[in-house]
Amino acid sequence: MSKLRLENVSYKYEKSKNFVLKDISFEFEKGNIYAIIGKSGAGKTTLLSLLSGLTKPTSGKIFLDEEDTKNKDMYSYRSQDVGVVFQSFNLLPKLTAVENVILSMDVSGRKFGNKKEIAMELLNKVGLDEDEAKRRILKLSGGQQQRVAIARALSYGPEIILADEPTGNLDGETQDDIMEIFRKLAKDENKCVIIVTHSPEVTEKADVVYELKKNDSGKNGTRMKK
Amino acid sequence: MYILKNAWRSISRAKVRNILIGVIVLVIAISSCVALSIREAADSAKEQYLEELEVTAQISIDRQSMMQGFSSESGGFGRNSMKEMMTNQEDLSLEEMLVYAEAESVKDFYYTGTTSVDTDGNWEAIDTTGITEDESESEGESDAQGITSMGDQGRGGQIVGGNKPDMSQMGRMGVQGDCTIVGYSSDDAMTEFLAGTSSITDGEMFEEGTSEYECVISDELATYNEFAVGDVITVANPNNEEETYQLTIVGIYHNEQSGQTQAGMMGGFSASSDSANQIYMSYEALSAILTTSEGSAETTTDEKTGRTSSTALKNQVSGTYLFSTVEDYEKFEEEARELGLSENYSISSSDLNSYEQSMEPLNNLSEYAMYFFVVILIIGGIILAVLNIFNIRERKYEIGVLAAIGMKKWKIAVQYTTELLCVTFIAIIIGTGIGAAGSVPITNALLEKQIESQTSTKENQMANFGRGEMPSDMGENVPSDMPSDASSDAKGKGGKGMGNFFNTMGSTVTDYVDQIDSATNLTVVIELIGVGILLTLISSLFAIIFVLRYDPLKIMANRE
Repeated sequence: MSKLRLENVSYKYEKSKNFVLKDISFEFEKGNIYAIIGKSGAGKTTLLSLLSGLTKPTSGKIFLDEEDTKNKDMYSYRSQDVGVVFQSFNLLPKLTAVENVILSMDVSGRKFGNKKEIAMELLNKVGLDEDEAKRRILKLSGGQQQRVAIARALSYGPEIILADEPTGNLDGETQDDIMEIFRKLAKDENKCVIIVTHSPEVTEKADVVYELKKNDSGKNGTRMKK
Repeated sequence: MYILKNAWRSISRAKVRNILIGVIVLVIAISSCVALSIREAADSAKEQYLEELEVTAQISIDRQSMMQGFSSESGGFGRNSMKEMMTNQEDLSLEEMLVYAEAESVKDFYYTGTTSVDTDGNWEAIDTTGITEDESESEGESDAQGITSMGDQGRGGQIVGGNKPDMSQMGRMGVQGDCTIVGYSSDDAMTEFLAGTSSITDGEMFEEGTSEYECVISDELATYNEFAVGDVITVANPNNEEETYQLTIVGIYHNEQSGQTQAGMMGGFSASSDSANQIYMSYEALSAILTTSEGSAETTTDEKTGRTSSTALKNQVSGTYLFSTVEDYEKFEEEARELGLSENYSISSSDLNSYEQSMEPLNNLSEYAMYFFVVILIIGGIILAVLNIFNIRERKYEIGVLAAIGMKKWKIAVQYTTELLCVTFIAIIIGTGIGAAGSVPITNALLEKQIESQTSTKENQMANFGRGEMPSDMGENVPSDMPSDASSDAKGKGGKGMGNFFNTMGSTVTDYVDQIDSATNLTVVIELIGVGILLTLISSLFAIIFVLRYDPLKIMANRE
């Protein structure tokens, strides 16, 4: 059974005549890494916004565990069901790394034991030490911020992890580290990891690749690999 | 719970922004605290004074009402008929006054009798009128003939200063003598002694209700005639010099205002009007003298007018009704009418008039303070709202992130409102402290200015009428310190109220409330908290609208 399924999803922006996404039908399962690739303007980030519940399709349906998300409260969907790693991280600069992670746990409304301990463990797991975890976001490097964003996305235990160009701004070694984290999440923790990327390395490591193409005439999403 | 934690974290990590908001709220809080404290001081002073105030009232002939009634009944103006009607309208007798004293609202009733007497020639009354005895006698005769006209003048006059005998009503008392005997029904009727303007300096006051011919005289009269306690003085009926009464002096009193006020003011009319020539005794004793006088009086009838006149001593009774509360006083009118009081009589209280006058500067200040308060609220509210709008726009990204990670928009709005509430409350607590400490001196300073301005306006008005300035001892405003002043009891009980109603030039000197002891109380604090909540909600409203309108996707897309 698919964890997340798009059925004939199309999307166009409010004041635009053209569809960014047209008739997309993708399936995502737990335990796999999915890569969504495509040229700029193909609709990769739009697709991620749809998957993360930040916007709703113009037509078509998105199913979570075969339940139409149309009937779901999108705030609780975002805070509990999916963990998103944004391209520009979207962390709160006035908070420390650990506070950013704890905030997401608070917002999810789920009950946790010692939140600070859990957050610290998560940050350690993604490669940040205690000292770095207590620093404010602006005092961390891009790679460190990326790790914090991943830790935040994992903090409340979502089964789906969405990442937008998670390795885009990182050096080769850090890229490998991050991809290793995603691999473990998918393979060891049986999560469904969906990555929007340009990177051939990431694409290489993905189990399934979906390509988005600019195509006004018909479907613009194709399954490429498995 | 995490909303509060976040809010507090946000306050502590954006110090400059929150200090700026805090300073604005602090200024609003201090100004509001002072304004509300002034209003509260005025209200509590009013309330406390009214609680302590025992209202006194008198019933007097209402000439205006009679005139109105006359014109509507007769359908026109007839001076002679009107004069006749007013002449025939008698002052209330003691018996009638006692009927109205039975009203439920009346707490106590006391009265004085006033009669004019002559000396027996062995001693003299103090006379600063400059009128010789012959002139005085001829004046007395003319008074006797002109009883009606003098009496009419006296009828409409209000008895000012409580139970003090009204000199303008002397025309009803027959021929004017050298002295005035005032008979008091009880100690309560001796308002000047209760208020402290008069006090016994030698001997003691006669027994309350005694029918012995015992009296107290003024120290001026005693010094003038070398009288001492225990001496016996003889007074005579001005209509019949053969009819004399012997009174034993049991006490000598001193009146603080005697010689400065009434002497100068009234001495121009007759010696008997001079307060120094007033002989005080019990009403019972005076009543005994009057009964004796009536028994030996001769009655004659004028052939032309048919009017009868008697040589008996005339008595002018003045009654004072005492009420526990203002409500009782207001109720009394209804009750008195039910008991048969004619519409030709009116009930009035000098206490309430003096109370209203004394409160005038504080009330004015309170009114201005409330206008100031409203202006501060409006301006403060606008500044805070604008500041909040900028604040929210600046935090747009934060709103986008919070919404993106699934925090509901209303929770974001609550967090921002909580932040503002916390800053507002801290500022209000500090502001209330500063305001409370400053409100008393500020209020007193403003009150002083207000009284100065009020006094100066009145003095200018008098100067415009060419009446010059008030005597310095009367022009001063004696601090009444109402809430804690012990003298307020005496003021409340006595007919004097708060106002020192003496005048030489036709204007009154009012004892203004010029001090307040405390102003900021629980009510002010609660109101300030209300102001804080109101300001926060109004200024947050715009912020909330912004938060609800923001789309996280757009915010983040713009940023990227």
